[in-house]
Amino acid sequence: AQLLPEEEDDLWHAYNLIAVGDSLQAVTVRKVLRDSASGGRDAERVKLKLEIVVESVDYDKEGNVLRVRGKNITENDHVKIGQFHTLELELKRPFVLRKEYWDWLALDTIQQACDPTASADLAVILMQEGLAHLFLIGRSITATRSRVETSIPRKHGPAIAGYESALKKFFEHVLQALLKHIDFEVVQCVVIASPGFTKDQFRDYMHLEAARRDLRVIIENKSRIILAHAPSGYKHSLKEVLDTPGVMSLIKDTKAAQEVQALKEFFTMLTNDSARACYGPKHVEVAHERLAIQTLLMTDTLFRNTDIASRRKYVNLVESVKKYGGTVHIFSSMHVSGDQLAQLTGIAAILRFPLPDLEDIEM
Amino acid sequence: MFVPKTDNQSDLEGPHRNAGPWLCSICSQQNDTSCMSCEVCGVLRDLSLYFNNTNEPEGGAKRRNKHSGVSVLARSLFTPSSPKSKAIVFSDGFRGNKNATGHMQASLGTLHKTFMTHKQRHNIVPFKFDIPSPDDMVSIGLKSSRHLRKDIPGKMVMGDDDLVAEKDTSTDPSSSVKLDELGGNSSSVAANTRNETLILDNELQHLSLERKPKNSKAKIKKPVPVSQYKPEPWMLQGEDQEMPRQLNLAIVGHVDSGKSTLCGRLLHALGRISKKQMHKNEKEAKEKGKGSFAYAWAMDESADERARGITMNVGVAYFDTKNYQVVMLDSPGHKDFVPNMISGVTQADAAVLVVDASLGSFESGMGVNGVGQTKEHSQLIRSFGVENLIVAVNKMDSVEYSAERFNYVKSQLGIFLRSCGYKESAITWVPLSAMENENLVTAASDTRLSSWFHGTCLLEAIDSSAAPHRDVSKPLRLPICDVISSHVLGQVAVCGKVVCGAIRSDSKVLVMPSGELATVKIIERDSSRLSSARAGDNIAIGLQGIDPIHVMSGGVLCHPDYPVSVASSLELKILVLDITVPILPGLQFELHAHHAKVSASLVRIVSLLDQKTGKASARKPRMLTARQAAVVEVRLEREVCVEEFGTLKALGRAFLRSQGSTVAVGVVTRVVQVQGERAEQAS
Repeated sequence: AQLLPEEEDDLWHAYNLIAVGDSLQAVTVRKVLRDSASGGRDAERVKLKLEIVVESVDYDKEGNVLRVRGKNITENDHVKIGQFHTLELELKRPFVLRKEYWDWLALDTIQQACDPTASADLAVILMQEGLAHLFLIGRSITATRSRVETSIPRKHGPAIAGYESALKKFFEHVLQALLKHIDFEVVQCVVIASPGFTKDQFRDYMHLEAARRDLRVIIENKSRIILAHAPSGYKHSLKEVLDTPGVMSLIKDTKAAQEVQALKEFFTMLTNDSARACYGPKHVEVAHERLAIQTLLMTDTLFRNTDIASRRKYVNLVESVKKYGGTVHIFSSMHVSGDQLAQLTGIAAILRFPLPDLEDIEM
Repeated sequence: MFVPKTDNQSDLEGPHRNAGPWLCSICSQQNDTSCMSCEVCGVLRDLSLYFNNTNEPEGGAKRRNKHSGVSVLARSLFTPSSPKSKAIVFSDGFRGNKNATGHMQASLGTLHKTFMTHKQRHNIVPFKFDIPSPDDMVSIGLKSSRHLRKDIPGKMVMGDDDLVAEKDTSTDPSSSVKLDELGGNSSSVAANTRNETLILDNELQHLSLERKPKNSKAKIKKPVPVSQYKPEPWMLQGEDQEMPRQLNLAIVGHVDSGKSTLCGRLLHALGRISKKQMHKNEKEAKEKGKGSFAYAWAMDESADERARGITMNVGVAYFDTKNYQVVMLDSPGHKDFVPNMISGVTQADAAVLVVDASLGSFESGMGVNGVGQTKEHSQLIRSFGVENLIVAVNKMDSVEYSAERFNYVKSQLGIFLRSCGYKESAITWVPLSAMENENLVTAASDTRLSSWFHGTCLLEAIDSSAAPHRDVSKPLRLPICDVISSHVLGQVAVCGKVVCGAIRSDSKVLVMPSGELATVKIIERDSSRLSSARAGDNIAIGLQGIDPIHVMSGGVLCHPDYPVSVASSLELKILVLDITVPILPGLQFELHAHHAKVSASLVRIVSLLDQKTGKASARKPRMLTARQAAVVEVRLEREVCVEEFGTLKALGRAFLRSQGSTVAVGVVTRVVQVQGERAEQAS
């Protein structure tokens, strides 16, 4: 299949798609040594089209580059067959991917990636006094764009002015980050979330500054900036922000929202009837043998397993759960909820009926 | 404190009352009509009841207790900080001290005499207790060094002969006996019995040599450390301004229970707020239509806090009682500001839990619909290490000072407090009304209250709380509560409580976790200069020679030679609080330890502990539910300065918060050092 990554999300999909053993063709640049007429050796950069058999894949979150290392399989003037080469996949650079076997998951990923309607870009500024994070939430990745941390003193009698000015400075930093990282053409809306009144204070500050400095972007997009409540300014609180009704309605069709919902259901089930929820590969497998799985929650990291056999195993698990009428959620490990699931062994399930004896099985 | 609403807010509320959901005045949550209080933050919906209470009672007894040094010293000396202390050893010395500081201007002769007797005592000690147990040695060291400290002012006044003697000490390091006599180093007492291992030398170098093994293996604590800081000349200098002991008092409670107003009232009654200031507050409060907030505004100084009528950050104020110099920490009660409360109040030695007695408010504080900061705060305070709790049952005026209501509150809350681990005897119950100034600094005057209540008033209760234990003997640790910059203190200044050890100006300190050295320029306490400060003191320090970016709140100032341990991964023994969602591995939460806040995640549950026996269960549990105790391993997002609980309690406590509430409290059982040790930990 020939693919052209257009946004960051696409690269992430590609990362999930490309597995060891696949062959990948792309245009690349390679430094080639050649003997010149005078006997010296010159290094020259040559643009080539190479096809390689993938041996390892590496995703660079910051630079938005996918590095794929593998052995060359195309006949070429400069690169011998069998020589190692690393292809860098970047945005707007087409590549061709060949797989021996396109499993269900791979096809699903492509389908998802090619569906433009599902795209919902949301920016969240998660803050508390002295700490702010700026996130961009795409379909399947949450990128931390900026982190602002300043020390804000407590109020201290006469030093109260110090508090106010420290807070001002903090807001200024956040505002600068907002202006720098948020492109209102791409982002549908901006959510400012915090515990307490920090969000209100910041919004007031922002509007005041926007009016004063004539920041058109903010004035024009005033209606697209909304407030939400968050329990803290740390990254993991993002989950709760996405869960607030106001934000939920904005993103309800996106994967992030579905993931948050599914994980919430899992925890609710665990609270109400702990025998009807389980986690860990062993437990889930046992539950599956008894056809007890109602909803299966998995992270994509499990599929990215270098071991083909275990990938196959998980794919089969997913397929058979589906066959028996269960639903499956594949979490993106780039979202907060996926991150949490990954720490919870990466696999969990809500069961149709209680299996209390799972407790007794050693994990 | 009574009414959390501005006028316009109550206007807002009017229509809502009839038309379905009503708007919480604090967090703007849309609540169902059937709810009496806000679902999110527990603020009461309709408090118009209290609008009547906005009368401003005047004055209040302006009784400022001029503490006499005598009683303070007596107290400080007799505090049972270590029960094994030999009373004989210093009963005489004590008398000497008393004279020394109590009447500094007393005649030279008497003082000299008392000092002499004191010296003699020291000589006797080694003979009296031939081979004291190590424990005893520590306590002797502690005690004797303590009254040595007290002696110093006396010495200073005495002048010539003693100063000369002092010089002798430093010029004659070989004779340990002589040193001992002069009280320069009390540890020589112990040292004498220990094969003269110490050649007492006032130099720090030597001390650090001695200490090295002690720090690396905290268990083998030698009896030396007490005096390690003492003999240094700088300790002597600060002594002439001997002050009463500091008591860090936390004021906690549910939102709108009247903490700030209570604080304001106390300060006003004790004359800490000027008439002018009070008048200004009253006027401004009235202008904003919040007459009842006048006292709270003494604490809530920022514009936001005033506008919203709630405390958001911990406020600090100072006042004096007979026995203590009290540092009052007024904490925010609102749910969203519990993190602020934790980081601001961890330094507390004692606490006042303010409870709203009025109908409905007490119940919402206890968390009828899920959120109750009365409960959360008292649990937190307990896990800060506070044992003595004063429960101030506030707003008694709103229930006509009914004894019945008071007893109801007492029985309801009492059950809960006992379940938190407070001892029955350690709880003092005080009914009062901050608004009407009943039973605050003087006994109740309203007959409705005085007819049935004969206990102490709040001030007395505070004054009689048990003296906190201070650990001067360990190397310096000062968790940074705040980083400020002011004209007086300079560019970089930090606030915090000295947890253990002592600090003085011009000494070097190590700022952790950045590992930068800085010089202490100025030490201030309640805006007055000090030349040194010891454990328990709540101070502000101006630092020199360090870039502000290296100093963050949550860091720790420590002795350059004995840095605090820095952890990126911890093993904790936790007690899970009343939670609904069970704790699973992978849970992400905020970890609070002293003033540090950090995002962390639960790596694995090591074992479940039996509540009664404390033994670890064999099987690895799948999850943790409410009220379980367990050993868990957590990974921190960033490095944090902590100590194992056994080494230093104040830096060994941790609080786990998730989704806006405290899920567990615990202590650090093992610090996994930054790197390298991961392998070891895995094995």
